[in-house]
Amino acid sequence: MPAIYALYVINKSGGLIYNKEFVVMASNNLNDTLRLASIWHSLHAIAAQLSPAPGCTGIELLQADTFDLHCFQTLTGTKMLMVVEPNTPDVDILLRDTIYDLYCDYVLKNPFYEVEMPIRCELFDSNLFQTINNVHRRWGLLH
Amino acid sequence: MMFGLFFSLKTFAAAMDPRTDTKSQLGAPLRIGESCTFRSFRTNNYKLHFLESPSGIKIVLNTDPNAGDLRDNLSYIYGLYVEYVMKNPLYTPGEPFKCELFLRNLFQFVKTIGL
Amino acid sequence: MFSSPLYRLNIVDRPLAKGKGEVSLSAFSFLFSELVQYCQTRVSNIGELERRLEDIGVGVGLRLLEILCFREKNSKRDIRLLDVLKFVHTSLWKYLFGRQAKDLEQSNTAEDEYMISDYDLFVNKYISVPKDMGALNCAAFVAGIVKGVLDGAGFRARVTAHFVPVKGQPKPKTTILMKFDSVVLAREHRLPSL
Repeated sequence: MPAIYALYVINKSGGLIYNKEFVVMASNNLNDTLRLASIWHSLHAIAAQLSPAPGCTGIELLQADTFDLHCFQTLTGTKMLMVVEPNTPDVDILLRDTIYDLYCDYVLKNPFYEVEMPIRCELFDSNLFQTINNVHRRWGLLH
Repeated sequence: MMFGLFFSLKTFAAAMDPRTDTKSQLGAPLRIGESCTFRSFRTNNYKLHFLESPSGIKIVLNTDPNAGDLRDNLSYIYGLYVEYVMKNPLYTPGEPFKCELFLRNLFQFVKTIGL
Repeated sequence: MFSSPLYRLNIVDRPLAKGKGEVSLSAFSFLFSELVQYCQTRVSNIGELERRLEDIGVGVGLRLLEILCFREKNSKRDIRLLDVLKFVHTSLWKYLFGRQAKDLEQSNTAEDEYMISDYDLFVNKYISVPKDMGALNCAAFVAGIVKGVLDGAGFRARVTAHFVPVKGQPKPKTTILMKFDSVVLAREHRLPSL
């Protein structure tokens, strides 16, 4: 069954600035999550270097045995990662259109947010939860 | 560099795994087939498929980003490797190999995937 | 887009009558966000920040009074307290937010206090106030605009913005509290009742 496990936002220097889990999952402690974020940052860059064809911008989707990881990179180098159940459809669109919109609205337009710093915005949290809940409801996970 | 990428991706996938509660510490050596591993990744202009055999042989296939799930094909290639390389008495395990039979069958197979 | 004659006119050469008055919410929000951040760099506490926002609003309010009176009231302005309040509640709100304010009421406790309350003013739409900033309400800017209008119309008042939690609503409403000068009230009493 499709499901969204978690969302991570990584700033352009590889620091984790937001992480949120949406369902009960085997999670890492914060330190490990921070390290994983910077590991991902470098993997992303290396994968772009290893490309057999020119013009590669990095990994967009990583498929593993028990999860899919979608990565959306904004023009400014901020990365949004979403860990989902394998073969969940349309996650790239959700990230690119909906989540990125929320980020622009409730994070970037908030005067109390400092760019590249951890995201602590109530409105972003609440709207994000609402969006994810709506998506889950559409998939029949919630009633 | 490629080896480093795979190694880190494996570590990353094992740590990210949302289903296994008992994860070894981040960075601890992983035994093959024991934890969640990665199958493929896709970028805007290529897709890389990955298969690791129980003995640690890694088979990597670079394809067009639109290619689907090629795991079965990778295991077929692994089968070819077992047949034509491992069963070749002149081959010393661990060395680079140049087996004509393997190559011929490989090319033939890749053509049948039809990408 | 520059082919229409309207765009060839310099902005100061255009007629004062009804402008289209539409601005992109994103553009406004980013500008407002920068404004708040700018103010934040030169203050030491929340009160000062609110006052700064208010001061900026006052300038806007004074100018708005002029142009709205010109457009809607034939260059006349109201001289009675209630009329001015109604002007703020309807005309000004319509110009700023595209609709009337939700409520206009007089305080129960004090004769000189009036309140305009409204839900989700778009200045606050994207703003999450961090916990350590407590009761800061960026609608202080709107309070400043109201103050500018009232001051300009000759009704001196102290105007402040507050969050008021409402039962059954996830978001608090914003109340603009206007406390008029005793001079204003005395003058109002001298005038014949309507």
